[in-house]
Amino acid sequence: MAEWLHAEAVLGTEGLRALDALGPTEVLVGVYGANQARSVAQVAEAATKGLSGALAGRASAVVVLDAGVGGDTAETARAWARAHPPVPPVRGLRVPGPPIRGRAVLAALAAARHLEAESCALVDAGLVSLPPEGVEQLLRPLLGGEADYVSPAYAHTPSEGTLTSNLLAPLCRALYGRRLQQVVGACAGLSGGRLGRLLDAEPWDGDLTGYGLEIRLTVEALTSGERLVEAHLGRKALDPGPAAPDLATTLARTVGPFFGLMDRYRSAWSGAQRSTPVPQIGGPPALLPETGDVQGDRMVRAFKLGLKDLLPVWEQALPEETLGQLYPLALLAPEEFRFPPELWARVVVDFAVAYQDRRVPRDHLLKALTPLYLGRVAAFLREAQAAPPQRVATILDTIGRAFEAEKEDLEARWR
Amino acid sequence: MHETWSDILVGAFREVVQRLSLVAPRLLALATMLVVGWILAALARRLVIRVLRAMDFDTRCARWGFTAGLIRGGFRQPPSQLLGRLVFWTLFLVALLMGIEALEMPATAGLVAGAVRFLPNLVIAVLVLAVGWLLANFTAQAVLIAAVNAQIPLAPFIAGAFRWLVVSFTVAASLTQLGIAREMVLLTFGIAFAGAVLALAIAVGLGAKDLAREMLESHLRGQNRDQDSATHV
Repeated sequence: MAEWLHAEAVLGTEGLRALDALGPTEVLVGVYGANQARSVAQVAEAATKGLSGALAGRASAVVVLDAGVGGDTAETARAWARAHPPVPPVRGLRVPGPPIRGRAVLAALAAARHLEAESCALVDAGLVSLPPEGVEQLLRPLLGGEADYVSPAYAHTPSEGTLTSNLLAPLCRALYGRRLQQVVGACAGLSGGRLGRLLDAEPWDGDLTGYGLEIRLTVEALTSGERLVEAHLGRKALDPGPAAPDLATTLARTVGPFFGLMDRYRSAWSGAQRSTPVPQIGGPPALLPETGDVQGDRMVRAFKLGLKDLLPVWEQALPEETLGQLYPLALLAPEEFRFPPELWARVVVDFAVAYQDRRVPRDHLLKALTPLYLGRVAAFLREAQAAPPQRVATILDTIGRAFEAEKEDLEARWR
Repeated sequence: MHETWSDILVGAFREVVQRLSLVAPRLLALATMLVVGWILAALARRLVIRVLRAMDFDTRCARWGFTAGLIRGGFRQPPSQLLGRLVFWTLFLVALLMGIEALEMPATAGLVAGAVRFLPNLVIAVLVLAVGWLLANFTAQAVLIAAVNAQIPLAPFIAGAFRWLVVSFTVAASLTQLGIAREMVLLTFGIAFAGAVLALAIAVGLGAKDLAREMLESHLRGQNRDQDSATHV
């Protein structure tokens, strides 16, 4: 069944009735998740506190959308609301149909549109680090007419969000010309206007896998030309739920939809040239020094094992020239291991082209990227640990510029 | 009543000419069939290749992983050319059978009827082989990637074992379909499969029980989800 952005189509008659019972809603926080019973109460509490604080004068509500198996997340939210009757009201709704996380995001969007909310904050039910002020940070620029889309920015150490810092953000910067910190930030704010302009003309089925819908919302905001700001929300902590995916699956769920959307937004990224920063609210997020023990040696071992055993798969995605630059890396000891950003950007571009050409089954291709990614992360963390904290921003910028340098080649090879 | 030397010679010559006059048109028919069959098969091959190229068949095969499987199997030509060759040899074989039938020789009587009866089984067996080969390559690649990502040593060996398991099952199914040594194939496959499973169980039980316990424990404790202590998204 095709999934449309209509509340009745996504939530069913019962869900629609529960929404309508909320009455006129100016501000909505849509908490989405699947099997997130462990963390949803904490997130709902932060959302209600945020709405009842600085935004107390507005008609607002929190709706928890649960697309998991058994509806535990929605039930937990309802139980919490019964035990601590909150102001504003909290509703826990189960999204009928197959248990796909993306359907909860779609339901949150559809609910906000149905209620004709002036502003809407979408929050992952696992985002336990979200402070009440964070909800206000996401909504205030929308209500004040300063922005149509608010993306989160987090303080982080080099080892936090390495897929974002080494692949998603630099590729996004090269393609769409904006230096956004988070592509999949676990929360976002959308104005009523932005919600209204989300497409009705086509079903959203293709974006429901993995983080596809969140990535598409970000890309839509980047390519629409609407006002976009980043809100600093402190440090990010995400409860992955009871069934945390392994790294290869995480790569497939994030990088796959990102590559997939490159086809849809081909016309939008083919023209963009130099990148520009995104305006920030609440100051730039801090780059924190590394505190924990990062097992770089193990990552280097994973890279070397991949180079030895996954070569038949890589040969189908990477040209001889790229492979030729990878071979010498296998001879480096862990303490001197390096994987230059230029080579990494070339690898990612090669994989994106191979993904588009379907040279290898797509799931296999994305999972085969894992050892290469681990090699790059090992090199990045080694470099970041050896550098003074203030230089980490420069290292991150170098990665972005390396991706920008590859864009011309990518455009030429993208069919 | 003594035949002269010349009578015998003439008689033998007449006999040969008479027999040749009976066989020659049939030989001519065979030759014609072969020549016409060759020409038609060559034309059909060209046509098939052109149509397949117009349909972007080679690119599609590459996308479905078929080309990679063919290369791994030692076929270096593009799939469109391979299909063209298949069409060529099928048509030429049909022409050859028709030519042989035209000879009306006792030794070849019923050859065409037998071949036609056998054809559906052959087609099904080839299809089973093709699908099995694709499945074997797909499975082996998935196992290889998963094993390497889990940093399991000897990943190519494990993937290869999966590939040959699926291939041997496919070959056994194809041979059974063709009715070739059915009992022997079933028995051989059954013994080999059961033996492999038993050997694997003994190997894990004796040699790798500590490793298996460690992996299970770390999995149940939720450790080793990632290969490191970095967070990714």
